[in-house]
Amino acid sequence: MATLEIKDLHVAVTDEETKQQKEILTGVNLKMQTGEIHAIMGPNGTGKSTLSQTIMGQAGYEVTQGDILLDGESILNMPVDERARRGLFLAMQYPAEIQGVTNAEFLRAAINARRPKDDQISVMDFIKKLDKNLELLDMSESMTERYLNEGFSGGEKKRNEILQLLMIEPTFAILDEIDSGLDIDALKVVAKGVNSMRGQGFGSLIITHYQRLLNYIVPDTVHVMMGGRIVKTGGPDLALKLEKEGYAGLRDELGLDIKLVDDKD
Amino acid sequence: MDKDLARNQLQAASAAHGESTEFTARRLAAFDSFAVAKMPRMQKFNFSTWPLFDRQPELNWVETATPDLEPVADDQIRFVQFGQTTIETHLPQALVDQGVILMDLFEAMKKDPKLVEANLMQPIVKPEENKLTAYHLAYLNAGVFLYVPKGVKITAPVEINLIQDSTQANQPLNSHLLIIADDNSEVSVLQHTTTRGEEANPASLMVEIDARQGSHVSFSSLDELGERTVTYFKRRANIGRDAKVEWAVGLMNGGNTVGDMDSELIGVGGEGDSKLIAVTTGDQHVGINNRVTHHGEHTTGNINQRGVLLGKSHLVFNGIGEIIHGAHDANAEQQNRVLMMSPECRGDANPILLIDENDVIAGHAASVGPVNPVQMNYLMSRGIPKPQAAHLVIRGFLSSVISVIPEKEVREKLIEILERKLTDGQL
Repeated sequence: MATLEIKDLHVAVTDEETKQQKEILTGVNLKMQTGEIHAIMGPNGTGKSTLSQTIMGQAGYEVTQGDILLDGESILNMPVDERARRGLFLAMQYPAEIQGVTNAEFLRAAINARRPKDDQISVMDFIKKLDKNLELLDMSESMTERYLNEGFSGGEKKRNEILQLLMIEPTFAILDEIDSGLDIDALKVVAKGVNSMRGQGFGSLIITHYQRLLNYIVPDTVHVMMGGRIVKTGGPDLALKLEKEGYAGLRDELGLDIKLVDDKD
Repeated sequence: MDKDLARNQLQAASAAHGESTEFTARRLAAFDSFAVAKMPRMQKFNFSTWPLFDRQPELNWVETATPDLEPVADDQIRFVQFGQTTIETHLPQALVDQGVILMDLFEAMKKDPKLVEANLMQPIVKPEENKLTAYHLAYLNAGVFLYVPKGVKITAPVEINLIQDSTQANQPLNSHLLIIADDNSEVSVLQHTTTRGEEANPASLMVEIDARQGSHVSFSSLDELGERTVTYFKRRANIGRDAKVEWAVGLMNGGNTVGDMDSELIGVGGEGDSKLIAVTTGDQHVGINNRVTHHGEHTTGNINQRGVLLGKSHLVFNGIGEIIHGAHDANAEQQNRVLMMSPECRGDANPILLIDENDVIAGHAASVGPVNPVQMNYLMSRGIPKPQAAHLVIRGFLSSVISVIPEKEVREKLIEILERKLTDGQL
């Protein structure tokens, strides 16, 4: 069993224009294990994406306090590729397009990056695994010979992120607004893919605005983030409650002095 | 050796080679131009001190041993030259019967002097254009001739392997490929240039293409000359009415290289598409002028150059789109892009548009910069280590040229050479 632990995490970003540092995360605590699916919900501008980007180690996010531990070991000093090889995966909101590199070639390189040099995946095994997952995600085989994300529609890109998840089989997957821009059919397919990964060797942190996705991927734990930290944790019913009452309702109930982005002045 | 001695040496060597008096006279005229003509110039690139020719050149005929070759298939069209020696010409009989000619340039000159001599460095490149073109003809010592008759469409690619012999010193290579694609013919040529041996020698490589009315020529070249070879290349096509020439050059030479790519859109409705990729490593200096000149109306020109620089190398791409007065409705597009993979390399991408007509379309794009960080990050976030991610992004960057090379094996070969060059360049 693996664990991912976020301890009192403070993260700042620097505004490119004003060069002013601004603290986005103000002390996030979260602990999850494989076998569990956690959801993070929260209003716009509360730092959900900052959290996912920081866990993955993307540039531009400065940890000013606290730590991120994978199986008890700090990963803060590891570059993004090493974190990925250690088992972290971030499904991107805006995947990059790379002309000239086929999807299949990229997937093999990603799988092999996590395997020792003398134990690379065989072509047969790769194709079998690929065919199985393409079928699961209702994706055409031609997608694999196309250049990575090039000319893919929004929905195709999201599916392709889930295909990568299924092929790479990470220990912890962070799905950052994987539901945005998806129609209901595509949403179901994406959920089917994630659910197929559920098991003792896999944990997932799902970031979403809306409760809808959580009807299809039922989480074990739901966290609510506001003002750069987690303000409430509960079961799947917490998501339903939020859907009914809204974030402002919860804020007032908790007596928090946090201004929501969409509040009227 | 004084000038008279050098001239006599050239004359004697030409005669000893059994060349026509007309051709010997042309060599001597070129010799005279060589003495007075100026070096070609290139914007933002200086190669005036390079050893592109000997101080006291001589014309010598050297036979070389035959290297082992992969066996040729029955339907394959293949020509192999090692140094000055043609060691294989394989042209299926059916094509010979249709009048296709593929042979050693000097042999062709003897068999059909009218066809060859009238076209060799006369209507396309003129010897007196500059010092290096004059030198090329005066001391021409190797070559290939390809003729595709009217209406003949060759479906298989014509493979031309030129192997520079640098197993010995003092072996300058002046190699010439002359291609005549007669009216409405079609041909695809795959040239591969390599070096054997470790000696330092200059190479002067020229390609002339006469793409006559309605013809379609695709010319791909994998240039893989050795580190100690200093190269001048000139590749020019005269493109006739409704004819089309597509260049796809993978410039992977190990040594300093200066090159001219020229597409002369002479006839109405002609099309020239000039794609080139280059990877430079170490202390290498490479400068390319890629020019498309629109003479005819309704002509279309496209230049796409992509370069990757490693180490302390220096790479200059000049893209030149010229529209001559009277070339109405011409369309000249170009892009020149270089990726700088190290802080010590120096790259330039210069779009130059020279337009002397009003009702035309012209566009250009240029970029000089580091590898796309968004792409790098995406690959790395899937666990792919930085150097491998860089290789993939570079291949993607170069794919617009790689993908148009007609043969899968050649594309794979180019990728293999590219990977090797990137690895050798310590990326």
